[in-house]
Amino acid sequence: MSPTSRGSLLVGVAIAVSLALVGAYLAAGGASYTPAQTQDPCKDRPWRDPEGLQQIAEQFSLSALDGAACQLGVSREALARALATPASRESFMQRRGIDDPELVRAIRAGLLRAVDDAERAGALNPVLAAPLRATLRQIPPEQAIELINDARSLLDSLQSFFGPAQGLLEQLFP
Amino acid sequence: MSPPRPRLPALAIAVGLVLADSSIVVLALPEIYRELDTSVAGVTWVLVSFNLVMALAAVPAAHLARRIGPGRAAAIGLAVFAGAGLACGLAAELNTLIAARCVQALGGAIAVTAVLELLPATVGSERRAVAVWAAAGATGAALGPAVGGILTELVSWQSIFLIQTPIAIAAGVPVLAVARHEAATGIISAELRPTGRPHLLANLALAMVSAAIAAALFLLVLLLIEGWRLTPIGAAIVVSAMPLAALLGARLGPGVGSERARAAAGTILVAGGLGGLALLPKAEVALTVPPQLLIGVGLALVLSALTETALAGRAPQAIHGGWTIASRHAGVAVGLIALTPLFTAEIAEQRREAIDAGTAVVLDSRVEPLLKLELSRRIEQQLEGERGKVPTIGPAFEPLPEDPDDRADVLNLRGELQDQLDRGATHAFSPSFGLGALLGLLALIPIGLARRVDL
Repeated sequence: MSPTSRGSLLVGVAIAVSLALVGAYLAAGGASYTPAQTQDPCKDRPWRDPEGLQQIAEQFSLSALDGAACQLGVSREALARALATPASRESFMQRRGIDDPELVRAIRAGLLRAVDDAERAGALNPVLAAPLRATLRQIPPEQAIELINDARSLLDSLQSFFGPAQGLLEQLFP
Repeated sequence: MSPPRPRLPALAIAVGLVLADSSIVVLALPEIYRELDTSVAGVTWVLVSFNLVMALAAVPAAHLARRIGPGRAAAIGLAVFAGAGLACGLAAELNTLIAARCVQALGGAIAVTAVLELLPATVGSERRAVAVWAAAGATGAALGPAVGGILTELVSWQSIFLIQTPIAIAAGVPVLAVARHEAATGIISAELRPTGRPHLLANLALAMVSAAIAAALFLLVLLLIEGWRLTPIGAAIVVSAMPLAALLGARLGPGVGSERARAAAGTILVAGGLGGLALLPKAEVALTVPPQLLIGVGLALVLSALTETALAGRAPQAIHGGWTIASRHAGVAVGLIALTPLFTAEIAEQRREAIDAGTAVVLDSRVEPLLKLELSRRIEQQLEGERGKVPTIGPAFEPLPEDPDDRADVLNLRGELQDQLDRGATHAFSPSFGLGALLGLLALIPIGLARRVDL
């Protein structure tokens, strides 16, 4: 084999091996090995397992997070992390230039959206929806933040609101 | 009276030691980054400063070696290199370390170009001297990261520099006889011939390929240690695939093709390997091995072919050798300077995306809600504690719940969350590896032009 042919063969082998590697990694999903995309919080998210108070409370919190995040123009995930501790909330608000009234407005909007979603999912009796909306519009700021983190406290509040009538909550949340 | 001839191992070790220094510190960077409490961009200058000074000083150093004599220049260069190595090892803050690295590079540039003038007397011919010089340099550069990683893990990052001092002194002792001879006789072995123009295209190609190789080494190490959380010694074992492949590639001598064919094939392999690293389909260490093999064989082919092309028929060798050193190190420095802002921005962006994706996994998981809330708080605290770095998520899940069902749910959740972080960390490096591959491919232009134009 002449030196020129050997040189051409060497270059040909290098091209073939390189293309084979790149092709194999592409075929194995190399171009799509990225973090999962998070969903737009302004879009509807179907409720999962809306049965039992605990599940309803959890789905209620998630819906409220979606609604508040949509209002603030951030992801549901970023807002959830921001509300995890007072320090993270402070840092989030500072970074985004959000003041207390704006945050509370967004959270109230989120809680109202959660009522709508619960009603649509058949998890909340329409009889309760109207007074619940009225209650949420008046709810104090700190309690609103607490509610979005753990909607069970909302259910506890409702229980005391409706008095000692045992089993009423189960009827209201069919 | 003929001048004494230093033994080949001492000269080869001197060249290998100096050229290893452009890469030996790569695996120690994450440790330096943590210990000196700096930024990724800041710690990059530990590498950039050395390569930049080598690039700027190589040709003037070669002139100095010819003017004062290669024996004296090599002795001075190695002494400066040894002293600066000591200063690097004792540096307590980043600026001191960077300043010492600059001095170390200056000494290294003087030593390595002077050795090229001493080698022909030892090995018998200029052609063989160039081959030995290039091979010693390539071996040093290829072995550097693995040696650095092992020393960092077993001893400390400081030991990488401290160990160089006695080695440089040992390599310098045999050179002293030549230096004494030069001082005693006033004879400088190399005659002061006029210097020809450097081979522009070969040196340009060397610079571009070196930028791509720097990307491969530097980014791969950061991915393994900072992204995938390997220990320095673990990363050193992984990146050993590259020098092993380089040793294999070095055996493919001129017999396999012309210098241009070897340069082109090597460049294509380096670009192909970087392309593979840009498209890793999973955060699996084993998947980095095939790209490394391509890069290793490629760098051995292309560096030796281009160095031989740049020096062939050109005199004096020290000056033209100086140009190749300048080109290689300028390429490394430019590559690092160009890539650092790109991948630091990508790391921040991918970290945010991975954390969002991980949070979605937590929110939508089937873990009991109270436990979920508690986990969210712990994860947030863990993220805050790790500032801008790729987070270690494991501690946020400790202690694991005692209930077997909850425990299984939490372990599953931890796995999913880790997967999102791995995806983010891996993807953060993709554009930089891709840019490195592009730089490698662009080197084909000067290599192709060199076929028609002999500059």
